[in-house]
Amino acid sequence: MAGLARLEGDTRAAARGWSDLTIRNVFILPTIAFLIIFNIFPLIYSLGYSFTDFRASVNDPVNFVGLQNYRELLNDPNIWRNFTVTAQYVIVSVGGQVIVGFGLALLLNRKIPFKGLITTLLLLPMMMSMAVVGLFWKLLYDPSWGIINYGLGLGSFDWLSNPDMALYAVAITDIWMWAPFVMLLSLAGLSAVPSHLYEAAAIDRAGTWYTFTRITLPLVAPILIIAIIFRTMEAFKSFDLPFIMSGQPTTEMISIRLYKMAFQEWQTGRSSALAYIVLIVVLAITNIYVKYLNKVKER
Amino acid sequence: MAVVTSSGRRVTNRIAIAAILVITIIFLAPIYWIASTAFKPRQLATSVPPTVLFQPEVTPFVKLFTKRVQLRGPVDPEVYDAAPWWEQAIYDGGERVLRVGDSVQLSAYPNRFMNSLIVAITSTFLAVAMGTLTAYGFSRFKMKGEDDLLFFILSTRMLPPVVVAIPMFLMYRVFGMTDTHLGLIILYTAFNLSFAVWLMKGFMDEIPKEYEEAALVDGYTRLQSFFKIVLPEATTGIAATAVFSFIFAWNEYAFALIMTNRRAQTAPPFIPAQVGSGLTDWTVIAAGTFLFLVPVAIFTFALRGHLLRGVTFGAIRK
Amino acid sequence: MLKKRWTALLAGATMAFTVNAASAQELVIFWAEWDPANYLQELVNEYTEATGVTVTVETTPWSDFQTKAFTEFNAKGDAYDMVVGDSQWLGAGSTGGHYVDLTDFFAEHKVNDIMAPATVKAYAEYDGKFWAIPAEGDATGWAYRTDWFTDAKEMEAFKAKYGYDLAAPKTYAEMRDIAEFFYRPDDNQYGIAIYTDNSYDALVMGYENALFSYGGDLGDYSTYQVEGIVNSPEAIAALEMYRELYQFTPPNWGKTFFQEDNQAITEGLAAMSMNYFAFFPALNNPALNPHADNTGYFANPAGPGGAQHAALGGQGISIVSYSQNIDESKKFLEWFIQEDVQKRWAELGGYTCSAKVLESAEFRNATPYNEAFYQSMFMVKDFWAVPEYAELLTQINNRVYPYVVGGEGTAKEALDGLAADWKATFEKYGR
Repeated sequence: MAGLARLEGDTRAAARGWSDLTIRNVFILPTIAFLIIFNIFPLIYSLGYSFTDFRASVNDPVNFVGLQNYRELLNDPNIWRNFTVTAQYVIVSVGGQVIVGFGLALLLNRKIPFKGLITTLLLLPMMMSMAVVGLFWKLLYDPSWGIINYGLGLGSFDWLSNPDMALYAVAITDIWMWAPFVMLLSLAGLSAVPSHLYEAAAIDRAGTWYTFTRITLPLVAPILIIAIIFRTMEAFKSFDLPFIMSGQPTTEMISIRLYKMAFQEWQTGRSSALAYIVLIVVLAITNIYVKYLNKVKER
Repeated sequence: MAVVTSSGRRVTNRIAIAAILVITIIFLAPIYWIASTAFKPRQLATSVPPTVLFQPEVTPFVKLFTKRVQLRGPVDPEVYDAAPWWEQAIYDGGERVLRVGDSVQLSAYPNRFMNSLIVAITSTFLAVAMGTLTAYGFSRFKMKGEDDLLFFILSTRMLPPVVVAIPMFLMYRVFGMTDTHLGLIILYTAFNLSFAVWLMKGFMDEIPKEYEEAALVDGYTRLQSFFKIVLPEATTGIAATAVFSFIFAWNEYAFALIMTNRRAQTAPPFIPAQVGSGLTDWTVIAAGTFLFLVPVAIFTFALRGHLLRGVTFGAIRK
Repeated sequence: MLKKRWTALLAGATMAFTVNAASAQELVIFWAEWDPANYLQELVNEYTEATGVTVTVETTPWSDFQTKAFTEFNAKGDAYDMVVGDSQWLGAGSTGGHYVDLTDFFAEHKVNDIMAPATVKAYAEYDGKFWAIPAEGDATGWAYRTDWFTDAKEMEAFKAKYGYDLAAPKTYAEMRDIAEFFYRPDDNQYGIAIYTDNSYDALVMGYENALFSYGGDLGDYSTYQVEGIVNSPEAIAALEMYRELYQFTPPNWGKTFFQEDNQAITEGLAAMSMNYFAFFPALNNPALNPHADNTGYFANPAGPGGAQHAALGGQGISIVSYSQNIDESKKFLEWFIQEDVQKRWAELGGYTCSAKVLESAEFRNATPYNEAFYQSMFMVKDFWAVPEYAELLTQINNRVYPYVVGGEGTAKEALDGLAADWKATFEKYGR
């Protein structure tokens, strides 16, 4: 490719051992091939299913139904409710993680004793299995013997069986688990801000807020956006936590609906169509983020 | 407040430290609760008010490793007295150990734990190795449609596992890979690769090209310079990537649940399944969780230096 | 070099896989994670000692049980030789080709004469053929706190308030009164514990208890008629009753199944608690239930019309048609249906379906709840067993749960909606 020729030292290096082109191909292509086989191939498979009435649980003949699955899904108010719930959850949960995680990073971004130890200890929640975390938080939230109500003096306040509260209760658990992730990445971004910029700001007698919005935030933004991309994707896919913790319609996220459709009801064709709708939504959201990320990086 | 005096900064620092301490304690409270439940007598797990001080015992761990069944009546005192301490503890809990012949039947936990180790370690190694190479390729060589390719790589992580589960399952069936370690290893590698590529590319971009070019001038081949110059510089990034990949592979639940059964299943689907005798035995679940947290915590703590140096990596360069 | 190593690795993995699969010296039975699975493990250990064939009972939590089993079936997996499957699965298991047809086995070994007729109909038969050996009979019943019920002060106060004596309820109306009477949130004491988990069939089982006793039904299982049956006045009254009972449950009772309902008794939270009989051993075990001596049991009470039914639980053992060990599995089942094995099964804690063992005085007096179980097994009714039962199950969960737990809408709206959902589903599959 043309771009390669412009690389300095290319000809010299190519004379000895592998050429840059070979190295690039050997380094990149296996990964691409691997991902195509194990991610794209199944996708093509399920794209095919999404136009059929295939049910993996029975031996009935499979019929091509065109766009019927998509049409029916998009006309189903329940599916829209699932998407609304998911959006709510993503906003509350990722928003909370960014506030708590970034806040923690700001607090930790200074010389304090045992900084390394504290940072690592804070990572413990994200080292646990979601399924187990969900189970234990159910115990913690229990109005009769949980420590949350006991500690906060909430009496028999109902978290998970209360349709208005359940989503927030699950989101709090998710924030507890993943705010440390945002914290770690933000900390990386914060410590990368050259200290001479702050010194210059101090000489200019810039205010704390000014320093924060004009120096800190723009320089941390790229890595913060990466953290948000990953967390948004994960929150969008959330399954284990809400599934284990609550049965409320107000916490039935799209992946739970998808799971039920695919693995309880075995509507393989229709669930593949729903999976595609979900995929397109996630792709669109991520694409917006990535565009924004590239713009921020170019500045 | 336009001027930040040094004494003002000291006060802010103190407030910050106090806030950090409070938040850390709040964050660690649930983990302390799980860990302490793992050593509690069964009745105390759901006591009102919650029990903080108690005589710790290891019965939950004994239960975790054995297959048990409920007692249907009182135990013969002679049998009880002849039993070893751990078996007496199980009798005290209203259960008895299952045996085939004379040998005690173990629960599936040790086996699932081993499976977790095999799958998580191998897949982490593969994802980090492939991710590092790919990131280097993307970082150093221009490529047509590079952004699209990178986005494609990222997009492979966006799929809800349920989306790929059915076709994957059928595909694995054809190759005889359901319920094998290899099957799970490949899946987790595929899932971690995107993260590894993205994270490693950030680190690779930070390593100055001049280092390599100097090496090329010194007569190194490009490949040699990658292994001798770039890789050591990227250790920090590799360690951080390994930690994240390991955490994911170690805890993955949905695929392990669907794709594996008794031969290759990992521990996460198993731990919450320890329901016990008609009642949730929180102490056993806590014991399983606690023990399962140990390897991943050790791994993270061992690489902590790298992880935290990785955190300051960019600052040194700029 | 590298390639060679990879090939070797792959070959090794494949070999390990095939060797495992071909070994006939091991049989694997798949069931849910609960006490009876442990009892079964203990029973089959005796088979191992007698024959040298290792039998392992593999378990998974109830919430994943169906998913796990059907994922394996649908991928034609051979990980399990036998599965102790729910009665609702018979339609999907048989028409999907996942279960081995045991009709000949039934004829040859006269299984119809060995097992109680109700259990054969419920756990084995679909479309005139037999697909499973009835293994674990089960139904829902109730546990209650005898010490609360016989407390002189409580009895007096109850009589003064309701005009009749406090005792284990005979009707749903009485049960409601008692639940209301004992509901004292300020003392952390509540009236009743019921099932509300909507991730599988728990909530539906709970509602079925009320529905069947109220004389309602889930439709006509032979004509697929649902309109006018699912949303009959009886069904609406039963659902309203279930919602009313929910008002008297402990806090956070919105996702509860057997563990929570048992815990309601062991932790002294509730006066009465619904559960499957299979979970009552824990309540009778003083090490697990501090109130074991003060826990009594009663069968599901009657509705206003005097009808009395209970929701069916329990399972039969089916042979998975993709198993490598079908013949070996049949041999195991031959052993399992012997009368002395069934007797042993009952002794170990299993709820045998063997007619002879069930009817014996020895069995009926073995525990405080066996008599209630024996009675219940003659009044059980079940959910749909059609291949699309899982879709029906999600639909009923989606309609009923928001009303019972969230108080959304009315019972009539919920059930009218359900009738429409089910009608559409049956039309879709051309029933």
